[in-house]
Amino acid sequence: MARRKLGIVLFSLPAIALVSIFVYVFVGQSINLSFTDWRFARPIHWIGFDNYIRLFTLDRGFQTSLINTVKLTVFFIGLTIPLGLGLAILLDLGVKGRGFFRTIYLIPLSFSFVVSSVMWMWSFLPESGTINTILRTIGLSCLAQPWITSTSQSLWSVGIVYIWQFSGFATLVYYTGIASVNPELSEAAVIDGATTWQKYRHVIIPQQKPATVTILILTLMYSLKCFDLVWLMTGGGPGYSSEVLATYMYKVTFNQNKFGYGASIGIVLVVLSMGVVGLFLHYMRRGEHG
Amino acid sequence: MVERFLAFGKPRFLIYGLLIFMSFLYLLPLYGLINTSFKTSKGIASGPITPVDHLYFGAYKKAFSSLKRPLINTSIIVVGATVLSTTLGAMTGYVFSKFKFKGSEVIFFLIVLGFYLPYQSILIPLVRFMGTVHLFNTYFGLILTHTAYGMPITTLLFRNYYASIPNELLDSASVDGCTFFSAFTKIMLPLSLPGFAVVGIFQFANIWNDYLFGLTLTQGVQAQPVTVAVANLKGTMTAVWNVQMAGAMIASLPIILVYIFLLKLVVKGLLMGSIKG
Repeated sequence: MARRKLGIVLFSLPAIALVSIFVYVFVGQSINLSFTDWRFARPIHWIGFDNYIRLFTLDRGFQTSLINTVKLTVFFIGLTIPLGLGLAILLDLGVKGRGFFRTIYLIPLSFSFVVSSVMWMWSFLPESGTINTILRTIGLSCLAQPWITSTSQSLWSVGIVYIWQFSGFATLVYYTGIASVNPELSEAAVIDGATTWQKYRHVIIPQQKPATVTILILTLMYSLKCFDLVWLMTGGGPGYSSEVLATYMYKVTFNQNKFGYGASIGIVLVVLSMGVVGLFLHYMRRGEHG
Repeated sequence: MVERFLAFGKPRFLIYGLLIFMSFLYLLPLYGLINTSFKTSKGIASGPITPVDHLYFGAYKKAFSSLKRPLINTSIIVVGATVLSTTLGAMTGYVFSKFKFKGSEVIFFLIVLGFYLPYQSILIPLVRFMGTVHLFNTYFGLILTHTAYGMPITTLLFRNYYASIPNELLDSASVDGCTFFSAFTKIMLPLSLPGFAVVGIFQFANIWNDYLFGLTLTQGVQAQPVTVAVANLKGTMTAVWNVQMAGAMIASLPIILVYIFLLKLVVKGLLMGSIKG
């Protein structure tokens, strides 16, 4: 028994220690810093909520980043979920080479954001990029866009890359979810005269809630955390047009050396992501109680 | 419209058409990457869709010479952090799947909650900490960081994996005189090789592809990971697209190989990490 206790302590202590320091102590320190005016090589003063007040009342860069983060999230999730579900249903319609297609849709997920950003910047080049060149070649030059170089399109262009990268994952999760629907249910529906469309609409899709929640929480987290792609493709620009919270925090902290102010932006991100986790837990608990 | 399309016989060619069209869209950027990486600067001028006419390896040579050191750095960091975080995850997962004690659920929840941490919120204390303990710009600093932030997901994955191993197996083992440790090494470990493969690959890919920690915790090429070096190719070689593309290809090669040869395990990891999370 004593040996078991010792075992439990020894086996769980490294993880507990690492997470305590790297997650909880560090977040605590960030909260502390967010109440100061600490800048590089200057004395630190306690300034209470000043940073937060400034963020929400004065700082246009921050407000734009917050709105852009929300816009990007809605765009990214709003297209990834129907696309993933649609492709999963198409694959479920008894096509040959399902595994092959599923693998192709999963390929983008394997690349780092750094590599994706290189491929997509090339694709998005207004003059010599792949997309506009193809559009011009097939006679649709009217559809050629300025993409990341334009203030009205830069955010959506980055969003497209996110969708490209993650929709194959959504397809995989939905595909697995559809495959796990009890076949008797859909067979019964077909015997009762349901069309293929009705079978999906009334039997299979309603059972995809757990898959949807899974995809939602992961995509939400990714869009809140999104830094690499925006940073590398647009740097938040042109202007603040594609600035998101993560890139704005980085600029304020490491380019302008305003550590206290940067910490407060980080804390806003934590609050947002804990809100997402809270919603997720709420949903799970409701599910448990029926 | 959709109803008619799905109910009306089986317009197979439409379904295949859509699937193939989507494959084309998904692979288009990749085509640009591979195609351009083998082109000379002159070849690039002939346009992005024109296929490369003769394979040119000059861009790879140039890219490789700037990426040599970062590739070694990344390999060391990835191997170290993957082994550490996977082993620790197996140990923690064992504890939280097979032993209930006061507060065990709360502790487990607090560990897993770390998965949802936006890293921007800890960047400043992290950089400061690494400076204070003299691990800034070192392999071990990055290994430690990746291990720490890998704990939530590896713990979760292993706990879910071990939950599928019946408790009776452990009970009968303890009747036979197995202790906490020998039950782990003699029963759990032999059964968890597939789990190690899945979690290990998951971590390998995540850490290999990291950019943010590499960017903030290194300076110069000394400990710089390959992702940061590839991103820097852009700055040092303005508009030399073939070198950038070749660099990106080199940096993704290990991950592409893992996807090709271990796809089943990759898929398993993705589903394990998501559905039960």
